[in-house]
Amino acid sequence: MESLEDERGNREGIKGWLNPFRYGWERVSYWFQRITGVFLLIYFIGHVYETSNIINGADAWKAFLDLTQTTWGHIFLLLVIGASTFHSANGIRLIFTEIGLGLGTPGRPDYPYSATSLNYKQKSGIWIALILAAVAMLYGVNVLFGSE
Amino acid sequence: MKIHYVTGIAAIFVVAVHILTRVVVPYAHSLEFEYIISNYHNIYYTILLEAILILISIHGFNGLRIILVELRQTRLWESSMTIITIVAMIGIIGFGTRTIILASGM
Repeated sequence: MESLEDERGNREGIKGWLNPFRYGWERVSYWFQRITGVFLLIYFIGHVYETSNIINGADAWKAFLDLTQTTWGHIFLLLVIGASTFHSANGIRLIFTEIGLGLGTPGRPDYPYSATSLNYKQKSGIWIALILAAVAMLYGVNVLFGSE
Repeated sequence: MKIHYVTGIAAIFVVAVHILTRVVVPYAHSLEFEYIISNYHNIYYTILLEAILILISIHGFNGLRIILVELRQTRLWESSMTIITIVAMIGIIGFGTRTIILASGM
């Protein structure tokens, strides 16, 4: 007899949720949300460590800034801006979905059996999140590279 | 998931205020030592930083726990991931709070 732990095994693991060829844009949004989330958590931990240098005085702060305020450092910050904007906007869409907003109403299952929950409102939400991320990154380019 | 949604929405607002305080002055000036220390000496800004620290730590580590628990479902794995993420969350909150206390001169 299989144990409870065997029955609950997730055999596909990380490959299962990274597979972009199933479920369309909703799947892309699903792993974008996770990748941006993990990326932002790593940035957050780095940011907390970075700002802790302020207590070591002005020289230590400037020395650490010199390490991060480079072209590559700014490109990294642009990725943070894009990731945080997408994660926030798509996260709001997911909260709406969780409370039932924008899911459509159940209908008779006629061919080609498209799920009413995966409708244009959901797809629009994903596109809005992507467009907002692009706009925020453009603004970031203006702030970070505009004065150089 | 309620804690994830509540901390996520709250974090959007407090991080927005944090970013606004950076962009209302020229970017280079916003990174100057004296400007940042003066921010830390403002009690309201200090409270804001602590709120950001707590909200994002809870949201981030709970999100990481959700991802890890999705990958594998055994009781040992789930409870281990919960404990590890809670310990890491407390560690980051403690370290960040130490910075806030020392930099604000409390």
